[in-house]
Amino acid sequence: MNIILKAMLAIYNFFVGDLVILIGVSLIMIILALIHFLSTSISLRGASGVILIIGVLATLVATLGREIMRSENRQQA
Amino acid sequence: MQWAIVVAAFLASAVEFVEAFTLVLVARITTNWRSAIVGALAAVATLGVIVGTLGVALVTLIPLDVLRFVIGFLLLLFGLKWLKNAIARYNGLKLLHDEEAIYRARVAEARARGEPVKSGLAPFGVLLSYKGVLLEGLEVAFIVISFGGSGVGGTGTAALGGAVAGLLVLGIGVLVQAPLHRIPENTLKFVVGIMLTTFGTFWAGESFGITWPLSDLFLLILAALYLVASGLLISAIKQRQPRMVEASTTLRAAPLSQDKGVRP
Repeated sequence: MNIILKAMLAIYNFFVGDLVILIGVSLIMIILALIHFLSTSISLRGASGVILIIGVLATLVATLGREIMRSENRQQA
Repeated sequence: MQWAIVVAAFLASAVEFVEAFTLVLVARITTNWRSAIVGALAAVATLGVIVGTLGVALVTLIPLDVLRFVIGFLLLLFGLKWLKNAIARYNGLKLLHDEEAIYRARVAEARARGEPVKSGLAPFGVLLSYKGVLLEGLEVAFIVISFGGSGVGGTGTAALGGAVAGLLVLGIGVLVQAPLHRIPENTLKFVVGIMLTTFGTFWAGESFGITWPLSDLFLLILAALYLVASGLLISAIKQRQPRMVEASTTLRAAPLSQDKGVRP
């Protein structure tokens, strides 16, 4: 494997190691940035905190859901 | 001496020092002292360079929100990963493993081979400690400079308040860390996951201009919220688990019962 790819994989595994968490947290940040910087979303700014907390919990549920599915597949195999 | 500045700087800095020390302690418990201290010292050195070169201009030059965003984002990634693994271990989705026992076994193996025992640095511990101390240290510097600017010769007076707070938190922290070793490994990792997710949410939110109710006290509410949500997730998965085990045993039992040579 290419050394750059190896380094990138090592960094990814160190910081995240879970694609669902990476996508989930990145999505939350993008949504918050849109709410914060777009003038059309002023009404949503008051709910930013709630959106952030719900997003974090949804990410946790999604990653655990995947873990359960993996476990079920392993047991059926 | 302006006691109002000393007390205000002491109280505000104490909160930041508690947050920084918590993360250093987390790094120490989950990895080792060496990693936690190296990370903290590296952060102190970075802070020294930043404060030494920028001085009072620090308040205007470094966008604290950018720093909060980067650190909050990384802590959310770390925290959710730890929390997921701890919940998965509680429910048997992942195997429990005692890292200290593994470490002791490795040390014993190395000694048996006559090799020198390495007590290396754990990158996670170093980074966690570094990030925590750097961000909170910068906030203390901001507090000292801001409070110091409000009175004659105030920076020195405010720095005194900050220094006393730092020493007090450090002293209490050293006393508290010993009993933490008696807690089971997965419980510690679960608590660490909750804390990292809490800090990550708090800082990432602040970077987007979110003003949390009750200010820094909201950290406790956030931690309690994540604790309750994780508890509910653990029990929900546990309720689902017996059905999963049942299904798998039925699947395995079917071909076995057809086999004449059924094992006991």
